[in-house]
Amino acid sequence: MSDVKTHSIDISAMQRSQQALRIEDETVCLSVNDLHLYYGEKEALKGVNMIIPEKKVTAFIGPSGCGKSTLLRCFNRMNDLVDGCRITGQINLRDENIYAKGTDVAELRRRVGMVFQKPNPFPKSIYENVAYGLRIQGINKKRLLDETVEWALRSAALWDEVKDRLHESALGMSGGQQQRLVIARTVAVKPEVLLLDEPASALDPISTLKIEELIHELKNEFTIAIVTHNMQQAARVSDYTAFMYMGDLIEFGDTNTLFTNPSKQQTEDYITGRYG
Amino acid sequence: MKMKKKSVSEWVKSGDPWVWLNAGAVAISVIMVVGLLLLIAVRGLGHFWPADVVESHYALPGEPEYNIVAERVESVEVPAAQLREAGIDIPDHHKLMQRTLMKTGNRDVYGSDFRWVIDEYLTETQRPEMMFTAERREWGNLYGYLKAVKENGTIVSETDDLTPTDSALATWSVFEQSIERAARIFDEIHQIEKKDIGKINYALERIRLEQRRLELEGKLTPAAEADLAAERSQYDEEYKGLQQSLIDLYAQINRDTFIVQVMDGTEHEMPVAKIVHAFRPNAMNVAQKMSFYFTKVWEFLSDEPREANTEGGVFPAIFGTVMMVLLMTVLVTPFGVVAAVYLREYAAQGWVTRTIRIAVNNLAGVPSIVYGVFGLGFFIYFLGSGIDQAFFPEALPSPTFGTGGLMWASITLALLTVPVVIVATEEGLSRIPRNVREGSLALGATKFETLWRVVLPMASPAIMTGVILAVARAAGEVAPLMLVGVVKLAPSLPLDGNYPYIHLDQKFMHLGFHIYDVGFQSPNVEAARPLVYATALLLVIVIALLNLSAVTIRNHLREKYKSLEM
Repeated sequence: MSDVKTHSIDISAMQRSQQALRIEDETVCLSVNDLHLYYGEKEALKGVNMIIPEKKVTAFIGPSGCGKSTLLRCFNRMNDLVDGCRITGQINLRDENIYAKGTDVAELRRRVGMVFQKPNPFPKSIYENVAYGLRIQGINKKRLLDETVEWALRSAALWDEVKDRLHESALGMSGGQQQRLVIARTVAVKPEVLLLDEPASALDPISTLKIEELIHELKNEFTIAIVTHNMQQAARVSDYTAFMYMGDLIEFGDTNTLFTNPSKQQTEDYITGRYG
Repeated sequence: MKMKKKSVSEWVKSGDPWVWLNAGAVAISVIMVVGLLLLIAVRGLGHFWPADVVESHYALPGEPEYNIVAERVESVEVPAAQLREAGIDIPDHHKLMQRTLMKTGNRDVYGSDFRWVIDEYLTETQRPEMMFTAERREWGNLYGYLKAVKENGTIVSETDDLTPTDSALATWSVFEQSIERAARIFDEIHQIEKKDIGKINYALERIRLEQRRLELEGKLTPAAEADLAAERSQYDEEYKGLQQSLIDLYAQINRDTFIVQVMDGTEHEMPVAKIVHAFRPNAMNVAQKMSFYFTKVWEFLSDEPREANTEGGVFPAIFGTVMMVLLMTVLVTPFGVVAAVYLREYAAQGWVTRTIRIAVNNLAGVPSIVYGVFGLGFFIYFLGSGIDQAFFPEALPSPTFGTGGLMWASITLALLTVPVVIVATEEGLSRIPRNVREGSLALGATKFETLWRVVLPMASPAIMTGVILAVARAAGEVAPLMLVGVVKLAPSLPLDGNYPYIHLDQKFMHLGFHIYDVGFQSPNVEAARPLVYATALLLVIVIALLNLSAVTIRNHLREKYKSLEM
């Protein structure tokens, strides 16, 4: 079992070394233009400019409070729920400004799915958890639901573990299973972008490894942005990495370069463990 | 000494005194509750036991001796001086005397059911086997010896014996058969009078209202009038048939009479039809008494009241209480939940919301009679009259909804309990973890969908807690109900076989009000007192059962939506 894991990670490392990634060659999925975000008087993001490339994994690293989660939550406008949160600047999903007036936020969130730090399954059955997003869209055909639920659970590498107890409560699962269920639930609505907010930080090492494997698989179909505290994790799973500090985007580039040859002193200090 | 002081202060510091204080307070509360329940249980349940009937000679000093036949009710010790002051010539050597309340029954003969006797002067007390107790449909209990049974005025069985001889027992069994027969006929009469004739009256009333309605709308054509008249005459015909059978039944039921010798030796002739039960308690063994006891308890639960509520059962009151509480629950739950959802989820959390929340909390403290007055003034006089004028003009001037009734009582109590539901629901909503809501929103659900599909189900145990508190408060409430629809005797249940089956406009009976009425408004308070205890016990049990079912539902929901380990 563990052999398989190391194997798959090795392959991706190999691929990375073979062909150097260049951000200029990527298709742009999300672009951030001069994004400022304020919590009341406090400026939490101070003019961020970057892109999230299509069908690649982009990792955000940085010390606690640097704004990486805040930035991630801007991509599906989760920050709208925070009282006193204000935004200037633009985020474009493909070519639409998601902060434009009249944007259907529910529709945006369907296109940009999010997985949170702690597993948050609904107190429903496993099946109903995965079918939730579909039912919200008014899909109630049993066959379609069955197919999508199975596909989503397979995508989240959970199908074999739960196929015999689909109608049991999701709350009876282990933390790692719950987190993969949440990923399956998010994948089920077929979003364009997957936002992962420290998806493995509440899990044990084995579950963490499974999630990381999963990210590799999902990359083929989805654009992924992941926030992580764990630099090794970022190095393992991502194609591009952004380092943030105190609300500023300090450095953004392909993961290999950023970790082996950072261009900024702050980045180097952080990844070599001088602060953080 | 120093050591000791230190240990005391350490004992205080350890927190033990507080544990003891709390335990003591809890113990006192539990003892008080259990004691109260025991008291009403003993007093109330004892009432149904077929007590022995004693026969004694009784003579106060210097007064003529007479015979007394009675059930013992209660016994107290009184100072002899008090009795002397009351004009009884008691010898000086007595300091305290035992005084007993005897239920002599036979109110039609003696004018009162009870008398106090001083135990000292009771002599030759015995429990004659042929002495019988008869519960009657009016005038309370009868105690005496059976002398004869008559059919159509001619004696069919008689006896001179006051002891269980063959002839006395033979007369007794004739008497029992006669009672059974009368009871059967009584049931038939009851069936016709309450159900069949009730149905016809209801139908006739509807025809009358229909005619009046057409008349008011100016649509009363001769054809329609003829139709209604035909319908009416059909019912009239049916009614005449029923009346004929009633006359027959009344003739049959009044066929038998019996002669009883009461305690002063006089003989009285009475109709058998007036007897509900007759039994000889002194001749019954424990098993017979037990079975009689349970029959009586069942009768109490399932029968209608007799004799201005002082006898018989309380079924209509149980039914009314339960129905009103259920209706109240159905009304208060959605209303309270919607209000709480708005306050917690949608309203901006400013000073206006805070003020509203304080006002809601204070509403819970408003005396219930104030709600009663409000219900009467606003719901009944304002809304009710409005409804009558808009929808029931044909019935005016007699009100339909413009008078107290089941619906107004339920709504008034719903208003009374809505703060409880709001507070409990808000509490529940605030406990739903933020990340579950975010999980739903992140899947493209709107706020409403999140509320409806995730948040409210998870808050449902808290909502049920609110409902439980609301039920507990509403079921025990009496004061406002007296103004908005409860009566001491309702002619029919608010749920019956006549269209539209649930009669929300009808007045109804309620256990709480029944207690008040029986205990304090009845013509024969002493006789009804045990019933007050029994009814009180029943009210407590009904509320406990209603609560228990709500608690069961809540626990089920809790299990289903047990909150995530955060």
